[in-house]
Amino acid sequence: MPQFKLTNTVLVALVTVTVVAILGWLVLRGALPPAWRTPGSPPLYLCGLAGALLLLVPAAFAFAKRGGHSRRPVAWFNAHVICACLGSALIVVHSAGHLGRAPALMVLALVILGALGLWARLRAARLLAATFGSKVAVFAPPDAATRARLQRVLERKRALLPALAPDANEGTFSVTLPLLLRNPGAALAYRALEREETRLLGTRRALPAALAGWRPLHLALAWIFVAGVVIHVVTVTFFAGYVADYGPIGWWHLTAW
Amino acid sequence: MSAVPTAAGAARLALLIDTERCTGCKSCEVACKQEHRLGPGEARNRVLWLGEPERAGLSFLTLACQHCERPACLRACPVHPKAIEKDPLTGVVRVNESRCTGCGECVIACPYSAMGFDARGHHAVKCDLCEDRRARGETTACASVCPTRAIRFGPRDALIAEAHSEGRRLRDNDDFLLGPATVYLERVRADAPSSSPQRPAFMDAPAAQAVVQRSPPAFPYGETRTATASDRSVPGGCNICFNCCSATFHFRGERLVRITGNDADPILQGRVCPKSQLTLQLYDNPHRLRFPQKRVGVRGEGRFERISWSQALDEIAERLKALRAAHGPEALALFIGTRTGMLDYLGTTRLFAQLWGTPNHEGTDPFCASSKNVAYELTQGRIGSGNSYTESDLGAAQLYVYFGDNQAETRPVYFGLLNGWRLQHGAKMVVIDPRLTATASKADRWHAIRPGTDMALGLALCHHLLSENLHDARFCADWLLGFAEWRRFILERGYSPEWAAPITGIDADEIRRLATQIAAADGCVIFASRGINQHSNGTQTNRVLMFLAAITGNWGRRGGAYFNMSASTPIAPNAPPERRVKPSRPRVRRSPTGWTEAMREGKPYPIRALIACNNPMALWPGQTAARDAFQALDLLVHIELFPNETSAFADYVLPAATGIEKGEIGRANDDRRIVWIDKMIEPPGEAKADAWIWIELGKRLGFDDVLKEQYKDPRVFWDEVCIDNDFLRGVTQKRLHSVPWRWVRQPVASEDAPEIETLYLEGSTAAAAPPGHRFPTPSGKLEFWTEALDAKFAQLGLSALPEFYSEREQLVDLPYMELVDSDADVGVISPFCRPDTSSARGRIRAASADGPGAVLRAQGFDTELVTGRPPAAHFHSLTHYFWQAQEMWPDLYCQIHPRKAATLGIGDGARLRIETAHGAIDAVAWLHAGIRESAVFIPIGWGERQPYHPWRSVNFLTDKNQRDPISDQTNLKSLLCRVRPV
Repeated sequence: MPQFKLTNTVLVALVTVTVVAILGWLVLRGALPPAWRTPGSPPLYLCGLAGALLLLVPAAFAFAKRGGHSRRPVAWFNAHVICACLGSALIVVHSAGHLGRAPALMVLALVILGALGLWARLRAARLLAATFGSKVAVFAPPDAATRARLQRVLERKRALLPALAPDANEGTFSVTLPLLLRNPGAALAYRALEREETRLLGTRRALPAALAGWRPLHLALAWIFVAGVVIHVVTVTFFAGYVADYGPIGWWHLTAW
Repeated sequence: MSAVPTAAGAARLALLIDTERCTGCKSCEVACKQEHRLGPGEARNRVLWLGEPERAGLSFLTLACQHCERPACLRACPVHPKAIEKDPLTGVVRVNESRCTGCGECVIACPYSAMGFDARGHHAVKCDLCEDRRARGETTACASVCPTRAIRFGPRDALIAEAHSEGRRLRDNDDFLLGPATVYLERVRADAPSSSPQRPAFMDAPAAQAVVQRSPPAFPYGETRTATASDRSVPGGCNICFNCCSATFHFRGERLVRITGNDADPILQGRVCPKSQLTLQLYDNPHRLRFPQKRVGVRGEGRFERISWSQALDEIAERLKALRAAHGPEALALFIGTRTGMLDYLGTTRLFAQLWGTPNHEGTDPFCASSKNVAYELTQGRIGSGNSYTESDLGAAQLYVYFGDNQAETRPVYFGLLNGWRLQHGAKMVVIDPRLTATASKADRWHAIRPGTDMALGLALCHHLLSENLHDARFCADWLLGFAEWRRFILERGYSPEWAAPITGIDADEIRRLATQIAAADGCVIFASRGINQHSNGTQTNRVLMFLAAITGNWGRRGGAYFNMSASTPIAPNAPPERRVKPSRPRVRRSPTGWTEAMREGKPYPIRALIACNNPMALWPGQTAARDAFQALDLLVHIELFPNETSAFADYVLPAATGIEKGEIGRANDDRRIVWIDKMIEPPGEAKADAWIWIELGKRLGFDDVLKEQYKDPRVFWDEVCIDNDFLRGVTQKRLHSVPWRWVRQPVASEDAPEIETLYLEGSTAAAAPPGHRFPTPSGKLEFWTEALDAKFAQLGLSALPEFYSEREQLVDLPYMELVDSDADVGVISPFCRPDTSSARGRIRAASADGPGAVLRAQGFDTELVTGRPPAAHFHSLTHYFWQAQEMWPDLYCQIHPRKAATLGIGDGARLRIETAHGAIDAVAWLHAGIRESAVFIPIGWGERQPYHPWRSVNFLTDKNQRDPISDQTNLKSLLCRVRPV
């Protein structure tokens, strides 16, 4: 069975449809029934719920590809893109166009996440391809001091490795999610040494900031968004009165504090 | 390293990169993309330049994955299990594309920046040392083609042992404690650059690269391995340049999927340059002309309508007949570029011209090599060296001296062979060139001579040899005619090293040192090429350098030669005498640029129609005049592969076939090898072989009794027409097809005659010469001077004794050539051309402070302009339609010294404007310390209507009137210009 390919054309089409749908909804929402304009109304509540569930897929992707059990990480990646688009549209609908309130920061985060992802796919991919042979440190006379520091990091990694993965070869080993969960102390210590080695190699510094930094920013924003969702869910579920400005509460909740 | 380790004997595998051999030709890049079907922007290997911006020095280094012991890429991969794997036995690190999510962390993590990325498929790509090829027991694609054998592949330990056995130093490349497997060999010369990797800024300019990446490449790039797996291979050759590489064409069904070298070739052994491989992008190219077209707009507008072949040919024939009736047959000119192929250039079109009755039939020789051809004919009696690229001939030399010949980039495979023999035998190399070229970068000494003064250097070298009696007296006595007269002339004129030093810019001691070295070497090969030919003193400079080789005994021996590319291809069929129409007027000029007054003003007689089989509107020197002339034509027919500026001016554009679409031989070959290329595929659309077009046009003019229908089959035309002479008679189709490398070295007088490795050896008789004639001259000796020869020179106002002169546009005042007659004048019939050809007479003007150079200098033209061939991937305008050639060498560049650029405020990669007294163009700057500070270099080949990177041709800067009266060769190497930032 041919594998689905998320080409740039497909991605642009997907994002275009999403943006058009969102803009269309924003334009037309005045003509919709009141329930589709009222935050927390049942249909918008369900939109939010569905959107949040769809946006869990990108989070699941992050775990799936690191967890060691995914046979098709690329399919997970594609799912993360598609679900993020659909989920984002539903979240915007869920917001009822009330973009001046605190939860709208999550919408903003989604927009930035989407824009970053799109930029990475369309532009950064080419920039990344163009870095071949561009790092000027290569074939420069070796820096003895850096080598010595690298040597020390290596020795410490090799000393720590048996506690983490006794059969592993340091040259091909890196900390995985299962190891992090099983032995967080050693794993974090090892991870710190990995970071130190990367710093000494200077590879990320050798690239333009946008290229080196987009993915850390994308990941950070994604986790901030997840945190925001958790706060939002907790707030609307337990502090429903506060969220509704102590007016009528139109959504399912546990307490109306 | 030919042995490929088997799985049973697995060892750590690696590439060995020899920086002493690498010339930066990028054949490895092309092979890699072919093998792995990589599209624009994707790379698994790439050539880097090593050198400091302010110091003249140059090394090249091929970068590919290092297959580290501790691969940073693998450890950076966030996917678990990893999308990058390392084979525990071979150490090969590879990407598992089915698991790669395209995050790019591996690309960021690699400190060697040797990880590639597929920006269309969104996954990492990297060298896996050609896993599939290894499985078939083959070496890596890059190593298989490398023209210089700079890349070797095999077990790492064996490669290191091999390097040690050759006495080579290994480079410490483990800066990051990653344990890279790739073995790099240091340069032999300790002062050669070995650090500061860089790539010229213009090469990777994002805007230029974006143009290439905009459209997906044609088949087979981007396809799956299965879709491009070959099921048959056919031997043949490359039809582009003088290296004439043997090649293997791989097919899947009827589709061409790959072009590689031919491993069975006993000389080239699979080596092949980037151009040969890039012809894969010629045969399946979206830009190709596919249908005959007729102009419907004004000239140059480029508006055409599609018409049928019969309509096109019928109309052309009728218009030609009308022109003949009005102006005579000489009013038709045929400009047959080398794109057309040798069978048509020397065969079909020659017959057509004879049947029609026009003497105005010429190719590109007067732009490239007519001066050398005349010099060879006068001195040796035949064009081209008699030596061969074999280890026992050219490989046996102790000294290689290159005058104006960047062989490493113009014939990369031949240079690879020579460079290998140089290293193997410890031979020395000296390069005379205004630029530190790829060739010069390998030399023991590089002399940055003033352009256009090689003749002075040659004379001074001869003067020193003669005055010190360092010449080979026996050879001079036995085999040189006119030696005494010539010797007296050199000594009397005082052409000493001291005289030459201020002219050439080369120290007198260095001149003496070089002369002594040439005399002492047991075998010296003096190479020369366009840097010598493309001058108004081209014939005389060639003769002086020939004399230099001859008086040191370096002629007619193994390991000693004067070698100016290339040998002639002796095809010269004639129509039956009764069918030939004898022209009533001589050829207007030998050089097609000399036809422009005949087109524009009808002087000395009108040329009203031109059939062009090349791109004269980029190629002809003095483009402004050429375009005026083309506007004035009644009929312009253009037979071409791609639409270009000439097509836009044409009345009819006829789409041509080429190479394996039609069947032909390779170009005129340095090595006298006739390489046969079978027809293997159909041309695109309705494109036709040139022979088909000429034969069909001939039918309409009543020529079909000579240009016969069966000659549309090139094999029939070859056997029945082309080889009917003492040089080629043995080069039959049967013999060519009897060897898996598809070439035979001429001359071979019969099908069973052996090939001759070295011609003109003492005791031998030259082919087609009277018995006992060692050399094919009238006297059987090398002819320097005779009264008869002097009389011929006198007809043009010159002497057979080569008196020094240079170009009119120089930064110092030097003697120069002044043509007495303009192109509109009848002039005199040249004693050096066949058929009868009008020529301008010349006179040598003494250096003067108010000469043309001084006038230009006063106008601010303060820089020497040198034009020439671009790097190995490009050849004229043809390759500019290949996406990968444009990816590797995108924009028209201008090499300029960093200090000069700094004074003008020009940065690397910045746009600049170059102006001469003849025109102006723009280009991008390539700051290069390996060029005379007073000079800039701009390559040929770019044109205004090319699809990727259109630029005005460099020939807007050149002058059609600065020509050699002897050969009609144009000066393309020494003009004055001014440069400024844009």
